Amino acid sequence: MKYICLPVLFLLLIASCSRGGKSASLFLYNMKDPYVRTFGNQIKSESSQIFEMQIFDSQNSQIIQNEFIENQIDSAHIMLINPVDRLGAYSIIKKLKSVNMPVIFFNREPLFEDLEIWDQAYYVGARAEQSGQIQAEMLMELFGDDGENLNKYDRNGNDIIETVILKGEQGHQDAETRTSEVLRTFTENHFRLDILITEVANWNRDEAFEKMKQILDRYSEDIELVISNNDAMALGAISLMTQEGFFRDSNENGRIDKDDSSWLPVVGIDGLIEAVNSINEGFLYGTVINDSRLQAKAIAELADFLCSGKDLKGMNYPLDRGKYIWIDYKVFQ
Amino acid sequence: MKKKILPNLSIEQNILIATLSIVMIVLLITSSVYYAVFTYRTDSLVESQSREINKQIVLNYESYINSVIETAHYIQYASLNLDVKDSYEKLQDVFLYNSEIKKDVVSLFLFDEEGNKLLGNDLNSVVIYHIAENEWFQNGVTEKAIFHFSAPHSQSVSLNRNEVIISVSRFVEFTYKGIKKSGVILIELNFRTLTDLAEKTNLGEGGHILILNDDDSLIYHSGKGYKEGFPESLQIAVEHYLGGFRTKIGNKEMFININTLIHTRWRIVTVNNINEIALARQQILLILLFIIIISFFVTTTVSLVISSRISRPMNELKKTMFKVENRDFNTKVEVTGQKEVVRLAKSFNSMVEEIRKLMKEVVSEQREKRKTELKALQNQINPHFLYNTLDSIVWLAENERSDDVVTTVIALARFFRISISKGETFIPVKDEISHIRNYLTIQKIRYVDKFEYKFIVEPEIYEYKVMKLILQPIVENAIYHGIGDETEKITIKAYKKDDFLIFEVENSGYGITEERIEEIYKVLKGTHSKSSVGMRNVYLRLKLFYGEEADIKISSILDEMTCITLFIPAESHYIKEP
Repeated sequence: MKYICLPVLFLLLIASCSRGGKSASLFLYNMKDPYVRTFGNQIKSESSQIFEMQIFDSQNSQIIQNEFIENQIDSAHIMLINPVDRLGAYSIIKKLKSVNMPVIFFNREPLFEDLEIWDQAYYVGARAEQSGQIQAEMLMELFGDDGENLNKYDRNGNDIIETVILKGEQGHQDAETRTSEVLRTFTENHFRLDILITEVANWNRDEAFEKMKQILDRYSEDIELVISNNDAMALGAISLMTQEGFFRDSNENGRIDKDDSSWLPVVGIDGLIEAVNSINEGFLYGTVINDSRLQAKAIAELADFLCSGKDLKGMNYPLDRGKYIWIDYKVFQ
Repeated sequence: MKKKILPNLSIEQNILIATLSIVMIVLLITSSVYYAVFTYRTDSLVESQSREINKQIVLNYESYINSVIETAHYIQYASLNLDVKDSYEKLQDVFLYNSEIKKDVVSLFLFDEEGNKLLGNDLNSVVIYHIAENEWFQNGVTEKAIFHFSAPHSQSVSLNRNEVIISVSRFVEFTYKGIKKSGVILIELNFRTLTDLAEKTNLGEGGHILILNDDDSLIYHSGKGYKEGFPESLQIAVEHYLGGFRTKIGNKEMFININTLIHTRWRIVTVNNINEIALARQQILLILLFIIIISFFVTTTVSLVISSRISRPMNELKKTMFKVENRDFNTKVEVTGQKEVVRLAKSFNSMVEEIRKLMKEVVSEQREKRKTELKALQNQINPHFLYNTLDSIVWLAENERSDDVVTTVIALARFFRISISKGETFIPVKDEISHIRNYLTIQKIRYVDKFEYKFIVEPEIYEYKVMKLILQPIVENAIYHGIGDETEKITIKAYKKDDFLIFEVENSGYGITEERIEEIYKVLKGTHSKSSVGMRNVYLRLKLFYGEEADIKISSILDEMTCITLFIPAESHYIKEP
């Protein structure tokens, strides 16, 4: 008997050891999206001390995500979900409530009423409207902070900014919010914008490149500003514009100067590395950083608090309505 | 001491147990492995298939809903970019076109914030009042970021429509006279399109699809004949919210899949019949069982046949060995079967043969030895007889009884001649009789007529040959035991009866008791130690030379007579001297 007991004890020891680390399951809506991929990795590294993290790529399908979630219910202690469909979160929340599983949503916000169903459901993210506001503020500064008297960047001097908007997916919550907020902020501050065209480029760099070609054909001379819902589209537009003679390094100092006549303000949101590089080279005027690292930190802390049963009031981040942790957008220019 | 666990088993039992256990173990292991693998494979196959079916259905719905939403987006986009007032005709065309091209779109409207109709495909028939009170309108205004899908109903905003529809509404912004305004667009979808999507799928007998609303109410079920829907699967779906799992509905194995539907809070529940798989599993189990039973019997039969083929010759050999044990050396085994056993049987046969030969040799050697001994005995002339006879002759001569001397001497001479008989063992009966005559002549003179004798001999047996000196010891006994006060009478009979030569020597006298007769028999057969040399000598010689047929019988009547009878096979004189 003694000889049997020893290995059994040993196994139990191993089993109890491995159970010491809690496991969290991370569901991303689509790993092909570089921002989300980076975001996922940041969450993983931020919580590496606390959790054994497994990442699942939902491949932009709620069905696949549902199946992953279903499979992980038995093994995970907490779920971090970037939902594919914000309404799909409704059934997921109900399901997780039934198995008493805490859940943190991020990157795509479920409806408040859905979050309210389960008191262990939270959302960590940035307010989409804030990104639009910051984008507008950054641009108003460029145009001289006075809506009545625009500076030289109002090329035709009519005190109206002729604007092209590159919009994300039509009907996408963020695209709608970002667009409406940037415009609302301008109006609020008595800046007058003439929207030459709102072109939907579905967050996509190549699509923006193609769409920009058509836009330049029609409005080449009139454009004074390009507002993009994200960096990828902004960069797509810049490549096309560079090709068409914008963004010339006339004084050959190795950098594009915004005083150059060929320069046009183009702004994005997200803070991709390519965007940062582009800003440093003088192409892109600025971007609004949706700081995924800060969000990842908040997610890791919230997850830790939820799993260890600590009082959430002890967190570094305030809880809005008992459900939300908001991370501010930051300007980068 | 090693403890014996297994009892001694026969070859048959050993072979049977060994083959049966090997076959059964192998079969049980393989069939259980096979069954386990089969079960596992079918389980995962069933699961993945059901999930795939569910996925396909959900994807169909998704792509349908996506197309609806695209339409909505397009209209939204158009209304924002074109002025509703200034480009009324153009926008109206867009609305008309979109509702025409999509068969499932019953109607398509744009309302402003107050619920006033602005654009639409069927504007004239639209109810004017209370638009803003509709649930779809309220939802659109309150939750602006999403599309709202209503449960199926038949209250179209178009008065001339009465089909079952789903109202899809969403908050939109549009441009009216250059000013941005907000409102709600409404798309009414023919519910038939959604049900058609579900009905194409084959989910097996009793399989069905349910669509649940966010409050778990049933929007749709695919069972046409079932009025009450599927309360059991509805119950399960409500309890589980999401996921795929196996369950039993009624007495059928079903696989239920619950998935969300994009852009809605609906859930699509597919219930697949997987009873057939369960039946297939049962069948496999039965087949395996059948195979096991059949192989049990086949193995038993085959091993019994084989083992009996091995053990039957062994058993035969064993039987023969028993016979040999009981000293029957004339048996032979005739064995067919395995080489080894046949060889063994052959060896056994030759061994038995050898033993038999050896024994025969020993027996005949012994017999010869006895014969030689007995011959020596019979050839011996009792010296006492000779002394006594010579004494008698001396006595006769002293008394000058010369005639008697002559008679005696002649008788003695004849007696000796016959005794010797040129070394022959067998002599004609007449010689034997004359030998006895001479003997009696001598003894009568010696015992001074204390007895009388007579011969009754059938002349036809004279020429039969008989072992010589066989009667003399008997007659000698008769004289000694019969002599008393009265003159003894000795009668010697010789005749042939039933292939036997019979010699009777009867003497008058006291006779002997039954017990004494028994004793004498015992002495003759050598089971009694008391020696009666003469008689026993005769008995042994008879048995030795004539075999078991020859015999001696003793009979007696008290105070009258005693009779010794010799039985000698009449044909035996043909036996050549060995």
